[in-house]
Amino acid sequence: MFKIYRAIVAVACIGLVFSACTKKEDQDVAPADTTNIYRGTKYIITATPTASTGVADYLLSVDDPTTGTISTAGNGVEQDGTYRYYTVHKGKFFSLLYGQGNPGAVATYRFNKQGKLEKISDFVSETVQVFANVGDDILTMKVPRQGDNKTAYMYRINADLSQIVDTKTIDVVNLSGNGERAHFTWAKQVGNKVFAPYMSIRGCCSDAFGTSNPDSAYIAVFSYPDLTLEKVIKDNRTSYIGAYFNDGLALDERGDVYAFSPAAATYETVVKSTTKSAFVRIPAGTTSFDNYYFDVETASGGHHIRQQTYIGNGKILLNMYGDAGKISGGPKLAIADLYNKTFTWISGLPAEIVSMSTPYNNNTVSSDKGKIYVGINAADGSWIYVVDVNSASATKGMTVEGGKITSIVKVTN
Amino acid sequence: MIYLKMGTRLLFFFLLAPFFLMAQNNDLCVISGQIKSETGEPVEGILVSLKGTASGVYTDAKGNYKIEGIASGTYTLVVYGMGYVVKEKEITLKPGENSVVNLQVKSEAQQMEIVEVYGRSQTKEIQQQAYNVVAVDAKKLHNTTLDLGQALDRVSGVRVRESGGLGSRMSFTLNGFTGRQVRFFMDGIPMENFGSSFQLNSIPVNFAERIEIYKGVVPIWLGSDAMGGAVNIVTSALPGSYLDASYTYGSFNTHRSAVNAGYTSKKGLNVQVSLFQNYSDNNYLIYAPVIDIKTSALTATKWVRRFHDKYHNEAVVVNVGVVNKKYADKLLFGFTYGQNYADIQTDARMAVPYGTPYQKGNTIMPTFRYAKKDLFLKGLDVTVSANYNLGYNQVIDTVNRRYNWLGQYNNDFEKNGIKGGERNRTLYKFRNNSGIAVAVANYRLSARHTITLSNTYNTFNRLGSDELVPENASYEQPRYNTKNIIGLGYKFDLNEKWNTTLFGKYYSQVTKYSESYTVITEQFYREKKKLMNPLGYGIATTYFPHRSLQLKASFEKTYRLPEPDELFGDQVDLEGNVGLRAESSFNYNLGLGYNFQIRKNHRISFEATGIYRDAQDFIRQVLAINQVRYTMENRGKVLIKAVEGEIRYSYKKVFSAGFNTTYQDMRNYTKYEPGQQVVSDVYKYQLPNFPYLFSNADASLFFHGLGKKKGNTLSLGYNFLYVHGFYLYWPKIGGKDDKLDIPLQFNHDINIVYSMADGKYNISFTCRNILNNEQYDNFKLQKPGRAFYIKLRYFIRKNADK
Repeated sequence: MFKIYRAIVAVACIGLVFSACTKKEDQDVAPADTTNIYRGTKYIITATPTASTGVADYLLSVDDPTTGTISTAGNGVEQDGTYRYYTVHKGKFFSLLYGQGNPGAVATYRFNKQGKLEKISDFVSETVQVFANVGDDILTMKVPRQGDNKTAYMYRINADLSQIVDTKTIDVVNLSGNGERAHFTWAKQVGNKVFAPYMSIRGCCSDAFGTSNPDSAYIAVFSYPDLTLEKVIKDNRTSYIGAYFNDGLALDERGDVYAFSPAAATYETVVKSTTKSAFVRIPAGTTSFDNYYFDVETASGGHHIRQQTYIGNGKILLNMYGDAGKISGGPKLAIADLYNKTFTWISGLPAEIVSMSTPYNNNTVSSDKGKIYVGINAADGSWIYVVDVNSASATKGMTVEGGKITSIVKVTN
Repeated sequence: MIYLKMGTRLLFFFLLAPFFLMAQNNDLCVISGQIKSETGEPVEGILVSLKGTASGVYTDAKGNYKIEGIASGTYTLVVYGMGYVVKEKEITLKPGENSVVNLQVKSEAQQMEIVEVYGRSQTKEIQQQAYNVVAVDAKKLHNTTLDLGQALDRVSGVRVRESGGLGSRMSFTLNGFTGRQVRFFMDGIPMENFGSSFQLNSIPVNFAERIEIYKGVVPIWLGSDAMGGAVNIVTSALPGSYLDASYTYGSFNTHRSAVNAGYTSKKGLNVQVSLFQNYSDNNYLIYAPVIDIKTSALTATKWVRRFHDKYHNEAVVVNVGVVNKKYADKLLFGFTYGQNYADIQTDARMAVPYGTPYQKGNTIMPTFRYAKKDLFLKGLDVTVSANYNLGYNQVIDTVNRRYNWLGQYNNDFEKNGIKGGERNRTLYKFRNNSGIAVAVANYRLSARHTITLSNTYNTFNRLGSDELVPENASYEQPRYNTKNIIGLGYKFDLNEKWNTTLFGKYYSQVTKYSESYTVITEQFYREKKKLMNPLGYGIATTYFPHRSLQLKASFEKTYRLPEPDELFGDQVDLEGNVGLRAESSFNYNLGLGYNFQIRKNHRISFEATGIYRDAQDFIRQVLAINQVRYTMENRGKVLIKAVEGEIRYSYKKVFSAGFNTTYQDMRNYTKYEPGQQVVSDVYKYQLPNFPYLFSNADASLFFHGLGKKKGNTLSLGYNFLYVHGFYLYWPKIGGKDDKLDIPLQFNHDINIVYSMADGKYNISFTCRNILNNEQYDNFKLQKPGRAFYIKLRYFIRKNADK
């Protein structure tokens, strides 16, 4: 009997020793060290392993994306999930969660002196559909598309402080004024104003994004930093500008704003836009469209524009819907000249592109504006391609293994 | 396909075989008699057979048997049945003799007394089946503060994961099977539609008399589409009158009470009533990030109390009917009412707390149960059960605020009358309108041959609306599901040492739903109908080379159909996936059990199981793409090798201890992801976010006759849990320092139980997580630290015969 007792006590003691781990202490967040910063330029490629859901994104730090190979195997900073979006502002890299309505954590990263990507702060953000660099801020917008809530929120997040400095609201039904809802597609700083194009949408009836106004373009003009609505610019030559989660505005060096429409408005799933997929323009210093019109649909042989990245000197990188005459098909890339209204398909890319890096955060244009990097995912692999703007030709750069590329950005300090 | 055809053919061959094997003899002699237990009570349903012949019968309710049509000669009469020591007697029959042989059998439980009583969880009652089954004797846990989930967590091969405190979301792993690959039953009825008021972790252990855990092949009488295991909760059905009342009070303002009462009259009127209630504030400490409510910036990471996690549920189950009648052994009409309320404190991540959303729901369920042995034909046993759940569920999220972990909130918008919610503004209320009907027929052709036919039918039709947007009601998408499973089994008992079961199952499921599809980035829906009707089959066998050594083996081609809430979501934290396909799998299972004693006083039992699974379209729970909810996904091909073992030791009636450990290797063998030509980035990797190595140990010490009173017992118990650390996402991808993981965990529980007057009055004291270790589970949600509970229980029983 006594022996048994001793055995129990012994076992219990062993258990206690093994389990006595140190308890975590309360910790205040220390201000980020502003001296421990890498001076120079580095690139971040974000990659997602191919395994549908249940995977995470990985941030791969790269010095030169034009050559070599990089892999996610044993390498890269793991992100919490893949439904994330990334943006760079003021030398920092922001990793935001798209929580489908739920708020989520945002992590801010910077390269330290040793050139290692380091998390410097955390904050909480709403699920937003728009985020754009404006002044020192990242301006985000949360837009309701159905239900009885009709208020859109606009948050100014200071990029230096990584915190919200102001929040404004706007009633999206009042804004549209046509009985439907205004749904912001994106926002762009133009001078001391913010231009925010929107789609007019039904916002109900299991057809939230349908509309009875398929051939109208709308841009709301806000003051900054007050975010007061100043005006709505309308035009009936095109359908809505940009698209859901898609930047439709290109701001050139002269201050002119070029706006593209995919001409893809629907009603109960059927495309109803009769206008063309085209560019229109708002001249510098004004808040109205002029008579500029560039019919890209016709110039491309019937393809609609999906996404755009402005490069410089009137040149723009376009991601076109692969199927002519339809709002479908894998990406097909082209360089267009907005000034001369010319359109050239890019040569040297894989015949079938499955997906490519996001354009809204692509800031990889070279300083002479002659080159831009894009991430291309095909069925047989993923690569960074270097696009030569003048010749509209692409050459294979870095090979990315162990994941498909979701974005490539440049971080400079 | 070839496998399937072969299997089907084999199956039919074996199903027909018994008809040819039945021997036809000339009537010559008759043996009859009565079988009694050592206490003199008649033993019902025990098999009496003649060794080496096909003759054999089961005893009736009075313990009587009669074997007719035997040729004269010398035979060995064998009496054996579950829970009894095999009894043999040699008899010689003269031509035309009508011999009466009365025998007494010894209950195995008594012979195995020490292992039994003090082995805490094992009951041998159903272990003679070919299935790999363990039964937890819940009665022995009735004085503890456990709920059914916690009781299961201590079983070898089982890992129960909870996302938080009382009433939180629970998931289940059993020998490499996970989630709903393991099905839950209550008295043989699938629990799929019981509603959120009846979850294992909100039902007190006193509700159950026994919990059967089938590892691997699930018997045909349980029906359903269990892929690799089942848990059957057998509720209290003691004969006579009884009352069992208990109350538990503990940390985090936890109150739990349960009353079980039953009455059976001499005329066979039977009334059973169960009531239970759980309440907890779940305001335990967690280490959480605290943000500034105005700027949303992280300011500190602190130990804070959960502040919006109240849970309570209340339930009443009433069964009224008759027992032991000519037309029915059991005919019960029942009604179950349950209601539950749960605050929503977080999503699948602790980053953002909520302060106002909650969910509530109820279960309104009429039930029916009928059982009759020897219906129309001798040897034909029939049971029929059915229920229908009329209950609802609702999520309430209408307050436009933002909280932090200190419980502070920003209500700037709320003050300005701007409508919103904390997650997604909603008042969506729905009813699943789900019903289940189960019919099982068991026909014993002879002592050796038994055929079982079962049919399980489920129906589900979710209808819902949101009073915030009533205009959307007419646009509700269809969410309709029916499932029917027919099972046919054949059991062949060669002798008491060897038996084999062959079975086949025909599954069919019809789902109506609307599929979303995308034009540009916009979502649209179209109505769809999906049919699944696969065929499964298998074989299970057990052999006793020696009385104390048992070997078990089984093979099965099996399917697991997606459940309605996996297809359509639960509106709280499970997001629907209408594209989910049925999982299919070839399962191979081997089991071994051995027990022995050293010098009478030391008893040791050993048990081990190995499983190999080749699964297609493996269904697993993952975080939804938004990282805040869960969803189910199919993984193309997964190979699973799992081993699990348990060793138990007991010394006289004073000490018992056990240790079990489980290792499961679950690897992704999907070589090419859909639409890809390059080898998957995660090919041959261990599946992430699954605990794959875990152990349990327990020890108990008993002091009998304390205070010189014979019926008083004091016991001290200790329980230890170890879970090896695992990664949240796929291993080997990403830099090691930056990977998210669920760290290694230890947990120690202790308890003291003092029983007086032969168990009439009981008091117990429990301390869980005595070292206050950080405990994590699903997706790194922190669980409670040290907690104390005290339980008072009163139990009284009167036999009907007295």
